[in-house]
Amino acid sequence: MNLAKALIVARREYRVNFRSPGFLFMAFAFPLIILGIMFFITQFIIERETSTDDFQKVGYVDNADIVQPGVETPEGYFALDVPEVEAVPYIEQQLKDGVADAIFVIDANYTLTGQVDVYSQKNVTEALKEDIDRFLSDHLVAQADDLQVPAERLVEPMDVVFRTLDTDERQSEAALIGRFLLPTIFVFVFFIATSTTSQFMMGGVVEEKENRLMEILASSVRPLELLVGKLLGLSSLAFTQIAFWVLTGAVIALTTEQGRDFFSGAEFQTGDILLMIVLFVLDFVLTSAVMLGIGAAVTAEAESRQAAGFIGLIAVLPIAANALFFTNPNGPIPVILSFFPMTSPVAIIMRIGLTSVPTWQIAVSVVILIVSTVGVLWLAAVVFRLGMLMYGKVLTPKLLWQALRENQSTPVIEVLPE
Amino acid sequence: MTTNSSNLSIADHAIFVQAITKRFGNFTAVDHVNFEVNRGEIFSLLGPNGAGKTTIIRMILDILRPDDGQIQVLGGALTDATKDRIGYLPEERGLYKNVKVLEMLIYLGQLKGMSTHDVRGRALDLLERFGLSDNTKSKISQLSKGMQQKVQIIATILHKPELLIIDEPFSGLDPVNTQLIQDLLYEMKAEGVTIVMSTHQMHQVEEMADRLLMINKGQRVLYGPVKEVRQTYAQNAVIVEGEGNWTTVPGVKEVLAGRNGHEAKLMLASGFTPDDVMQILASRKDYTVRRFELAVPSLNEIFIQVVGGNGSRAEARFNDVRAAD
Repeated sequence: MNLAKALIVARREYRVNFRSPGFLFMAFAFPLIILGIMFFITQFIIERETSTDDFQKVGYVDNADIVQPGVETPEGYFALDVPEVEAVPYIEQQLKDGVADAIFVIDANYTLTGQVDVYSQKNVTEALKEDIDRFLSDHLVAQADDLQVPAERLVEPMDVVFRTLDTDERQSEAALIGRFLLPTIFVFVFFIATSTTSQFMMGGVVEEKENRLMEILASSVRPLELLVGKLLGLSSLAFTQIAFWVLTGAVIALTTEQGRDFFSGAEFQTGDILLMIVLFVLDFVLTSAVMLGIGAAVTAEAESRQAAGFIGLIAVLPIAANALFFTNPNGPIPVILSFFPMTSPVAIIMRIGLTSVPTWQIAVSVVILIVSTVGVLWLAAVVFRLGMLMYGKVLTPKLLWQALRENQSTPVIEVLPE
Repeated sequence: MTTNSSNLSIADHAIFVQAITKRFGNFTAVDHVNFEVNRGEIFSLLGPNGAGKTTIIRMILDILRPDDGQIQVLGGALTDATKDRIGYLPEERGLYKNVKVLEMLIYLGQLKGMSTHDVRGRALDLLERFGLSDNTKSKISQLSKGMQQKVQIIATILHKPELLIIDEPFSGLDPVNTQLIQDLLYEMKAEGVTIVMSTHQMHQVEEMADRLLMINKGQRVLYGPVKEVRQTYAQNAVIVEGEGNWTTVPGVKEVLAGRNGHEAKLMLASGFTPDDVMQILASRKDYTVRRFELAVPSLNEIFIQVVGGNGSRAEARFNDVRAAD
């Protein structure tokens, strides 16, 4: 194989597709649009949930007798006397009359049950709930001595310790979020990158066939050089896209307080990240080779889209079966999907996020993936060579099998391209 | 090593093809075809649709592999380096639609081993020569069909090939562009480029080609210099234009009406040659002769005769005549 020619093809594929509106949109505009939408949604939620502007007057009914006279009460909070009979209609009437924007009723058994009923005609925000929570805590803390409970236990009743089942290793909450979030990000990035690039993979080959350019190219480069050049060029394009997303994501994450907290707290395992990269590259090459083979076998773009849709369906099987992964990540279906080449990277990464995957399973999965990637690359090269000059005729699996069995360089075609 | 049909060595031939066969399943597309293309000549590949012309060209270019036989191109087996010395314009040809003219030419030139600098300079020169210097930055889809055909020709000769293989070079061209391409081919021939053209346009072959190969149903039916092929099929007859009673000329056994109404075709009796008849006419005062020529059939007539009849017999007849010569 002449690598220099493959690199010329790779450069051309990269440059032409980089400038195409489809790529520019998917690589740059699409994530910006998503970020923009997320920003506005977040802003809207934050604005709504962090505001107590709609609750200037808050009445409380203390049936548990926990409100202490010496404790400072927030502005606008006032005690409300409610008749024992027909209490709820009375509260509703108070709200209708504008006496209060919200009324909360501390249940008589509050110290045992923690029950507090909040009534309002408006949507009760997180901020109001937090204010009520703080109000109750303050009053409980004031009684701590009598209750013989440490004050900090009242303020923070739970101290959760997360441990992994296999190693009993103590993990921070942020690290656990990171372990789960990273596979999710992997799956998202993989699907977007694969779907964008595979369109170019197939579209390019189909265009060259439809425009009758293949024969001109075939007189200068070997099919394998063309295949490798396209794979290299379009893979580089996909990695450019991913690098842009990851960098943008990292910059945004590191410039926000929550992002910094997440990164400083999350204990990413170097091995996991390396495994993700290896699986990503292998699966990307595998999927791309399948797409290139399909592009060479079909005759029109519409047919190639149908085939791509089918391949996409196989790849999303682990996502579709996510319930099985969550309930039993080491169950038969998740394990089988971990060994099947088209689904194994997503399946393995999803399981890593949920459980401790046996090392032998990861090793078998990687070996199967490597062997099938090499095999599919070889088959794609054969399909490419056989299919690229079959104008107006689909290279069916039957024709392909016949050609392979007879070890022919050309398929049996009834109508010669003459 | 020398070839069977001549004293030239394989290295002297631009293309040497020996007994190639190509089968697609049970169908034999090319059946034991032999031929050579000499360096610096215009060689024409003729045959009806589906005869196997494109399959032969694809085998020469290593796009398809022959099942049997041997092919040598420019002195040896086809390598990557040899491919860079060949220009190929297939019959079914196209271009990237949404790519700028110059950018596409640079890409195709690079694939032929040229540096970006060299291919840019050469492309700009050729675009100017073909009247497309204003279109270097136009997308292919913005060009007319004629302009696109010119760009395809430029892409084929960009890397100054030693061997040019063109399938139906004049297909779809208007008379002006046909002349342009014809002049270009003559110019390249004068520079020593070997040209193989596959075409249906017989008058172009008669006018341009030095030698031809005609194939039918995958088999060679005619092969040799164009003039010899035509003379082989010449009848013992002459075409005359002028005044006089042609039936009374000694040695003329039959007079047929000519093609344009002014000429006459004189069929000669055995034992009489065209030279004898010309001498008789020159010595007689009652005949005025404005034109006198041998009745040689056009390639078109030969093509129809050969393809419509028995191809193998036609080749046998041609070879017998050549052997007798």
